[in-house]
Amino acid sequence: MTGLRTFLRFEVMRLLRNPRYVGISVGFPVIFYTLFLHNEHPAAHIAGTTWKTYFMVSMASFGAMVAALNAGGTRLAAERASGWTRQLRVTPLPSWSYATTKIAASMVIALPVIAVVELTGLLLGGVRLGLATWAALTVVLWASALPFASLGVLVGFVASSETAYPVVTALMFLLSFFGGLFTPVSDLPVVLRHVASFLPSYHDASLGWAVVAGRAPGLGDAGILLVYATLLGLAVTWRHRVEESRAFA
Amino acid sequence: MLVSSASWAAPASPVAVARTGSGPAGAPGTEDLSTRRLNRESRGADTTSIMRLRGACPCPENDGAGPALRFSGVVHRYRSIVALDHLDLEVSRGETLALLGPNGAGKSTAISILLGLQRPQEGEVSVLGTDPRSAMASGRVGAMLQVGGGSGLPHGVRVGELVTMTSRLYRRPSPVPRTLARAGLTDLADRQTQRLSGGQAQRVRFALAIVGDPDLVFLDEPTIAMDVEGRRSFWAMMRSFSQEGRTVVFATHHLDEVDAVADRIVVMRRGTVVANGAASTIKAAVPTRRVRFASPGADPARLRELDGVDAACVRGSEIVLDSLDADATVRALVASGVAFSDIEVTGADLEQAFVALTGDLANAHTVDDAVARRRSGTDSALAPVTETAR
Repeated sequence: MTGLRTFLRFEVMRLLRNPRYVGISVGFPVIFYTLFLHNEHPAAHIAGTTWKTYFMVSMASFGAMVAALNAGGTRLAAERASGWTRQLRVTPLPSWSYATTKIAASMVIALPVIAVVELTGLLLGGVRLGLATWAALTVVLWASALPFASLGVLVGFVASSETAYPVVTALMFLLSFFGGLFTPVSDLPVVLRHVASFLPSYHDASLGWAVVAGRAPGLGDAGILLVYATLLGLAVTWRHRVEESRAFA
Repeated sequence: MLVSSASWAAPASPVAVARTGSGPAGAPGTEDLSTRRLNRESRGADTTSIMRLRGACPCPENDGAGPALRFSGVVHRYRSIVALDHLDLEVSRGETLALLGPNGAGKSTAISILLGLQRPQEGEVSVLGTDPRSAMASGRVGAMLQVGGGSGLPHGVRVGELVTMTSRLYRRPSPVPRTLARAGLTDLADRQTQRLSGGQAQRVRFALAIVGDPDLVFLDEPTIAMDVEGRRSFWAMMRSFSQEGRTVVFATHHLDEVDAVADRIVVMRRGTVVANGAASTIKAAVPTRRVRFASPGADPARLRELDGVDAACVRGSEIVLDSLDADATVRALVASGVAFSDIEVTGADLEQAFVALTGDLANAHTVDDAVARRRSGTDSALAPVTETAR
């Protein structure tokens, strides 16, 4: 197991050292929060809380999603192309550990990204929450980043090194716009509201919105995220098998 | 075909020099000197590896006299294509074995099965007395695979960090500074992997293959992106590594390397072994002989018609004939009345043997060189070259 820990630390270190990755993962949500905070009155009431708090939750889940998708997708596709994934297969690392470690590394990065956006909310947006609520919000948003971590890895396995980046970018914006992370879902047309109800991004943020509004997180939201995480996890396993079987054919 | 033998004689000599230059005692000695400073800096890592060594469990049933690897009756198909056709092969411990064969001969499939990347559909494979996957998981096997266009290395990391990380995946790794020195990477330890040249990246991949202190190493085309000097030093370090009693199996297209480095050669064709033995044995098994003489102004077309001649080549006043029956060729030459002097008959070289055994011209890289030279060389200072092959 020391091998796995070593490899995870290595993956996280490489992510943190990449200025473009850190810039996108932290910069996007923080900049969007600052830019759109005044689209509405920050203290305006929405879904049982204030806009500044609601939008902070949106951007924190957006940030976690961006961090998770980018950590897996683009880099994994490049490493498949370069032959590094094959080299790892001829080490004592168990073969399942590559995808698992990628997902774990995405999750490790998602946590500080959520924290930075929360800090921005606290300092720039003047968001005030109880300590328990901050903690609950962080835990809920972090856990619900799991489907995106798996999705990123899946894209990395399916896409080529040329297509991975546009695919990740498209997913990032589609999931966030249609999931109601930029425009509250209640402001969307009815059709799009239906679309949102199918997207993990919507249910991810919904859990957080419930926490800051003092409601219990919806079991339905959690259930849908769990289904997404399971299906995407299975898809990753399947793609990984396909990849292994064709490695030398 | 004939032209090429001259072109590969040149790279062969540096390899031979490397071989004599790195005696079993000499190489490790110099290495110790150069790594002493590094060792002191990373004493922590060294201590850990010593402790791990002590904790390692010796497996007497695996470390006995058995072969390093064994294939028996292995069959592997990709749909209708037979990649391995009842392959039987055994490699002893401490042996350096070259695996030769044209593309599609089954080399890569054999190697991927040995590494546990694929399971054989029929037959049995054992590696270090166990199955390939267990051998790999135990960390006693290292490998340097072929990479397509890429470097085979992850980006965003320094060479030293990458080798260190990989070493920690093994139960009893070699000290990292020693591995870096061995692969000629000490000066590149702080270099980012994306800033390496092709040959440097290949040395890093070699370091990754040996940092686990493996008993058995596979190298698939290890010198493919290296220049002559890079290849020379690569095989020098490979030899000092194999002289510690490790088993090395490599595949290559550079036949000069095979001649200089391998204890034994296995030639594969269509999924089976077609020749197996020392380079000299394999050369002797091929009937081709080379007849060489001086005959200014001789007509190559006429010489090609002589009995037994397989190929003819003219270089200035020198004529080189490849013959399947040297006695008949010489008799016919005398009878033809062509004036000649300084006649010499020699055995086949490894390239001729390879071509004869596999019927594969395209894969003897030196043949490619010869063709390329012929295409561009008609207006060069070289004398016109003619080549025929039946």
